[in-house]
Amino acid sequence: MALEPSESTDPTEPSDPIETTQQRTDTPLLQTENLVKRFGQFTATDRVDLTIERGEFRSVIGPNGAGKTTLFNLITGALPVTAGAIYFDGVDITTLSPSARVRRGVGRSFQISNVFGGLTVRENVRLAIQSVARDEYTAVESLFKPTDRYDELNDRTEAILERIGLAHVAAEQANALAYGDKRRLEIGVVLATDPELVLFDEPTAGMSVEETQETIDLLEAVLVDQTLLLIEHDIELVMELSDRITVLNGGQILAEGTPAEIAANQDVQNAYLGGMTE
Amino acid sequence: MASELLQLLVDGLTIGVVYVLLAAGLSVIFGVMNVINFAHGELFALGAYFALALIAPFGGSAFFLALFVAPLLVGIIGVGIERFTVRPLYGRNPLYHILLTFGLVLVINDLIYLIWEPGSVTLPLPELLSGSIAALGVTASVYNLFIIVFGALMAIAVWALFEFTKYGLIVRAGAQDRQMVRNLGIDIDRYYSLVFGMGAALAAFAGIILGGYQTVNPAMGMSVIIPAFVIVVLGGLGSFRGAVVGGLFVGLVQTALRTYAPIFEGTGIFVLMIGVLLVRPHGLFGTDAADEHTGNLLSGPRGGFLDPQTRTRLGLAMVGLLALVPLGAGTLYSTYAVTLVIEIIIWGLFALSLDFVMGYTGLVSLGHALFYGLGAYTVALGLAHVSQSAFVVLALAIVLSAVIAWGIGFLSIRVSGVYFAMITLGFAELFYNMLGQLDITGGSDGLFGLSTYYGLAGVGVELDEIAVFLGPVAITGQSLFYYIALSALVASFLLTRRMLNSPFGAVLKSIRENEQRATFIGYETTVYKRRAFVVSGALAGLAGGLFTLNAGYATPSLVDWLNSGEVIVMVILGGMGTLYGPIIGSGIFFGLEELLTGFTDRWRLVLGTIFVLFVILLPGGLVSLPSRLAPALPVTPGRGPNPEPEPESNPDPEPATDVDDAHTRGDD
Repeated sequence: MALEPSESTDPTEPSDPIETTQQRTDTPLLQTENLVKRFGQFTATDRVDLTIERGEFRSVIGPNGAGKTTLFNLITGALPVTAGAIYFDGVDITTLSPSARVRRGVGRSFQISNVFGGLTVRENVRLAIQSVARDEYTAVESLFKPTDRYDELNDRTEAILERIGLAHVAAEQANALAYGDKRRLEIGVVLATDPELVLFDEPTAGMSVEETQETIDLLEAVLVDQTLLLIEHDIELVMELSDRITVLNGGQILAEGTPAEIAANQDVQNAYLGGMTE
Repeated sequence: MASELLQLLVDGLTIGVVYVLLAAGLSVIFGVMNVINFAHGELFALGAYFALALIAPFGGSAFFLALFVAPLLVGIIGVGIERFTVRPLYGRNPLYHILLTFGLVLVINDLIYLIWEPGSVTLPLPELLSGSIAALGVTASVYNLFIIVFGALMAIAVWALFEFTKYGLIVRAGAQDRQMVRNLGIDIDRYYSLVFGMGAALAAFAGIILGGYQTVNPAMGMSVIIPAFVIVVLGGLGSFRGAVVGGLFVGLVQTALRTYAPIFEGTGIFVLMIGVLLVRPHGLFGTDAADEHTGNLLSGPRGGFLDPQTRTRLGLAMVGLLALVPLGAGTLYSTYAVTLVIEIIIWGLFALSLDFVMGYTGLVSLGHALFYGLGAYTVALGLAHVSQSAFVVLALAIVLSAVIAWGIGFLSIRVSGVYFAMITLGFAELFYNMLGQLDITGGSDGLFGLSTYYGLAGVGVELDEIAVFLGPVAITGQSLFYYIALSALVASFLLTRRMLNSPFGAVLKSIRENEQRATFIGYETTVYKRRAFVVSGALAGLAGGLFTLNAGYATPSLVDWLNSGEVIVMVILGGMGTLYGPIIGSGIFFGLEELLTGFTDRWRLVLGTIFVLFVILLPGGLVSLPSRLAPALPVTPGRGPNPEPEPESNPDPEPATDVDDAHTRGDD
């Protein structure tokens, strides 16, 4: 199969008429160049060139084993790359640690249980705020000054708590939250790290139709300013939400385009969608 | 020269084969069940003692009988251990198995002392295996050759069992995916018992054949367990091939060092292990598949029963009460009480230092005695060479311990979980062996006859000179030291508590709860863990320094790995992740010891049993007892004891990320 979408390798070419933020439209927010990941003999990510513009809602789909999660792990730094490069905001982040990437603005959301279960809701959010605000305080302060005396941090924490609608349960243990509230907290923690790009790994896996809709509403409400990159199995959802879709197969990019283009793409239909779209 | 090498080969292989059998059992148990079995050395010793008991009535010719019956018996004991102590812990972090089996070490070792005579005994050998063969300029005893051949056959048999039988297939499959095998309708638990039993039997074989080669003594388990771990870690936990290669290699290296460079005999293998782990964090043949993604060490809220105000008052009352102790000495009770409480305070500080890393970042340091000993020796050497001011040498001890902790942390914290425990153990053992060999540290005798004063720049007092009498109350130097130690403990507690309430402490707690998440909100977790390790090392150094100031000596035994184990016992007994729990743990530990030694020399047996029960039933320690009991009480005092929910009720549909969220039950 051919590496079809040659336009994605060219960062200067403006992609779709999607709303890009005003400040800087010259460089794409995220760009991978010839990204390769091998596990022994197996190539999980095969020369992937991915370009994501500011403000875009991009989804990555593909059959099981297509290399979606590996691609995510490469972008967030959870796995080292075998070859190729990753640029974020025009800067090469290929060798940065996961935490350094977070501080540059690459946020990652996990599945629901991935919060600090034994800490309170407020502590969860404050930890994320504190992480990005760390340079504002001296070493001595951060070692010895009690957290409740950082007024500015606490104000920001309360603001996030308001925004995700969890202010009323701020003092509860995260473990004690109801299902939907945990989801909110998870997203709130990501939001609190002030990301420009947020990666979502199947945020609606295992959810009912209503829960899925609630989660999507929340994403759209809270993360309006962010660029989103989503892995998702639910094709309908992806078609409905995405500005652009990238289809992976066997570690390679099979196709890329608007939902309509993807739905019409014969390669995609053959390899992945089969008869699912009419 | 060639014959000398050949002799070396024969001797090295003899020990090597014993190591292979020992390490194979350890490694298989870990590979299949993720259990680090510290009691393996004691099972090894049990094998030798059972053989001794079996041979005694019949004489040497019963050796072959014993060679098969004793391992069978030990195997049955192994099955029992798995069934009743290890099994309740599956699903918890493998570090709990270290704690559990450490308790078993205390129990079994004391049982051996209880049943058999202390001291070394020779295991009678049959005529068939006595005598020697001379060939190629080498004289080898028949027994040497027997060990090599028999051991090799056993190793091959075990390998074949796993490789070619249905039993082996099921066990290997179970190691890959326990649940899947269960879904196939196989009772995997039964197989686990058998694997544990088999590992125990292998250890017994090793114990018998080594007992025949050297002697049988109660300390033999302690003396092989550390090398056995080095081998398993070297080869890669869970790798059978690694155990074989590592065992033979270490046997040969040890023999060669003994012959050519006796100075490095003790240290060589630890340098080797540390070196290998730094280059290959999962050992030579290990894979990261065996990494612990099986449950957090201890997550969730702590304490929770008393409201903060009551707790503060209670703490103040405790300190006040402790401050009164020296006043009654010599009148209300003997001055020994002060000595005892000083010991509790110093070890309480030591346990608190460990809790700071173990309870708050999940790093289980199995070599924390290193810092204790380092502080002790710094004070001893400082008094001899730098200054006689107690404050100056204590400051030196803190600084040096912090620096060394940074270095060890820098090297070790990149390896995770069980391997971290092993590498810290390796560093401690290395230090222990160095202390025994260097002249400057006084060799195995240590340093003693130290004198000091309390003050700065030559102005101060010597405690021995002090004796003030106020009516019936005598203020002695000992009492003054008591107050110094108590102040150090209180100050350390307040300092660490302050740190834990700071942003730094918040990050530590987040690492304990969920390290992966902490990374993905932007924290370089290794940096934070290293800082915590430095704080911890410095406080442990302070504790060790206080010990030497008080006792007036420092010996290598301060760094014995049993000390590292016992301080973990105190932390768990009292309650990990609470700071004050470990101090209480120290009090209970020494209190129990004091109480039990009145009745029996075998107090470790009782203590070990209590510890085992704690690990199984009350992993949150004593301080978690009230909130555990609270729901059962009709009226809950204070401000509502537990807002914490039942942690098990986790609605997570499937743990699709690689962080396991199987919470332990010790959350309260």
